[in-house]
Amino acid sequence: MTVTTTSVDLDTARSNQQQRRMPGDHGRPLTQSRGLARALRILSTALIALWFALPFLPLVLWSFADQWMHPAAFPMETGTDGLTAAIANGGGRAFLHSLALSLVVAAIATPLGAMAARALSRGQVRFGKAITVLLFSPVMLPPFAAVLGLNVLLLRAWVPPVVGVVLVLVAVAIPYTTFSMRAAYAAYDDGFDEAARTLGASSRLTLWRIHLPLIAPALARSAFLAFLVGWSDYLITLVVGGGHLVTLPLIIASSASGVGNESSVAVLSLSAVIPPLILLGLIARSRNLDPGRQR
Amino acid sequence: MTAMLSRPRRRGVRATLLVLPAVIPVAIVVIGGIGTTVVQSLGLMPLVGTPALSVKTFEGTDDLLSSALLSLGIAVVSTAIAAVVGFFTAVLIISGNWGGRIVGALSAAAVTVPHLVGAASVGLLLSDSGVLARIFGIPPESWPALVAGPTWFAVIAEYAWKESAFIALIIVGTLATRITSYDETAAVLGAHRGARLRFVVLPLAAPSLLVASTIAFAYTLGSYEVAWLLGKTYPEPLSVMALRLFNSASLTARPEAAAVAVITLLLTAAVVVLAMLGLRRMRAWQ
Repeated sequence: MTVTTTSVDLDTARSNQQQRRMPGDHGRPLTQSRGLARALRILSTALIALWFALPFLPLVLWSFADQWMHPAAFPMETGTDGLTAAIANGGGRAFLHSLALSLVVAAIATPLGAMAARALSRGQVRFGKAITVLLFSPVMLPPFAAVLGLNVLLLRAWVPPVVGVVLVLVAVAIPYTTFSMRAAYAAYDDGFDEAARTLGASSRLTLWRIHLPLIAPALARSAFLAFLVGWSDYLITLVVGGGHLVTLPLIIASSASGVGNESSVAVLSLSAVIPPLILLGLIARSRNLDPGRQR
Repeated sequence: MTAMLSRPRRRGVRATLLVLPAVIPVAIVVIGGIGTTVVQSLGLMPLVGTPALSVKTFEGTDDLLSSALLSLGIAVVSTAIAAVVGFFTAVLIISGNWGGRIVGALSAAAVTVPHLVGAASVGLLLSDSGVLARIFGIPPESWPALVAGPTWFAVIAEYAWKESAFIALIIVGTLATRITSYDETAAVLGAHRGARLRFVVLPLAAPSLLVASTIAFAYTLGSYEVAWLLGKTYPEPLSVMALRLFNSASLTARPEAAAVAVITLLLTAAVVVLAMLGLRRMRAWQ
């Protein structure tokens, strides 16, 4: 027996939703500001936008600056010297290492978090509260406090440094994946699974054709968070990895602590900023296509 | 009869098997790591010599108090700024007009930036020959010492920048739809802008604001790379001190590093417990 799903035309559904204006929708006239309040709102919006945008400015300016002596307000000569220096510092290899590490961390931490969230959200786990606290605790703990002890522990257990880095980063990522999946499962309707089972689908078929497609957007968000944990980490890779794994943050740190290589630091930093932004854009698009999301 | 009895238990076993793969790595890192650090700090795991229980590492480590106060100071100031900016950012994003959308996109971008990269770019922005000094045309000698200076300005600015984006994201994520409808109801009933912010939006956002600020505070207290890159060399925050002792050539420094880590842990735990008590009061009041 086969189970087929008819596709819902999302575009028409969405355009219908946009035409309908419901109470509670954004931008209704009553809560819109007028006059002085409006001017204040525009001013504060501009200030906050500036606050978030300002730290990106030196990265963009310095990345393409071949020559920029002090009194000049803007780069005097533009070019790709920064990129050349960044590659000469081992930026290319470090980028690939960072990418591989983050993908491995996301690939491990996302299913683990999803499984734990599924069990916890159904409330069948013994000592559920204690396990919830334990799974959330890596967010609150200072990473260096755990890493100092773990370094000794992992060395005595003969765990290879790279495996140790992955283990610690997975543990740091699990709170994020577990809690974002828990939020997804709180809104999840078990009826879809049950209907498929009643219609004769095996549990494996239900998992692949019903369950996973329905939670796919939440899985993508969780995987993104886990990716960020691996991508941003400096201290754990440095101490537990012990120099065996050189990632982008390690190269940035060694360049930034020196003097006179601003454009190389800017290029390396920019290459660390762009991949997560691309993923964020993809996630934002997939959210619009999420059929489970109703507003 | 037996089938009916065994069913819930089997379900319980299945749930435990689902949770276990996540629990094991977290338990190794949290319980194993922290346990070893505590044992080291008590002198029970020295690199050389015989293990002996003592608390002298806590007394013998110089400047522990000034470092702890410095760490707390940086965390309090940067979290306070982040909470205020994050709250108003969330209010702008929830309002849903075009300005809110721009701010939402920029703050989401800031959340994805690694702290080390944030520190590197804040350094390029604020140093005495940095981008701001160049744009305003101020010579290095009259530019204030923002990076590596006595005020820890650059360090605080970096934490406040990153964590304000994080706090805004958490508030928006948990409350976006609820706030809008309550806000409209209050507006229909004639509440002014200020009154709505004070009596509707703030109380609704308060629990997630508290949770997000606590996470930001704990992160700032335990974070290393920003203070290491942008801070002064003396006095140093707890994390920088611990890592310096950990990497130093002296063999007796390892237990001292562990002691600094234990102090940081205790401070973090105290703040988290206070926040949880506050959260419980908030819930009871609602």
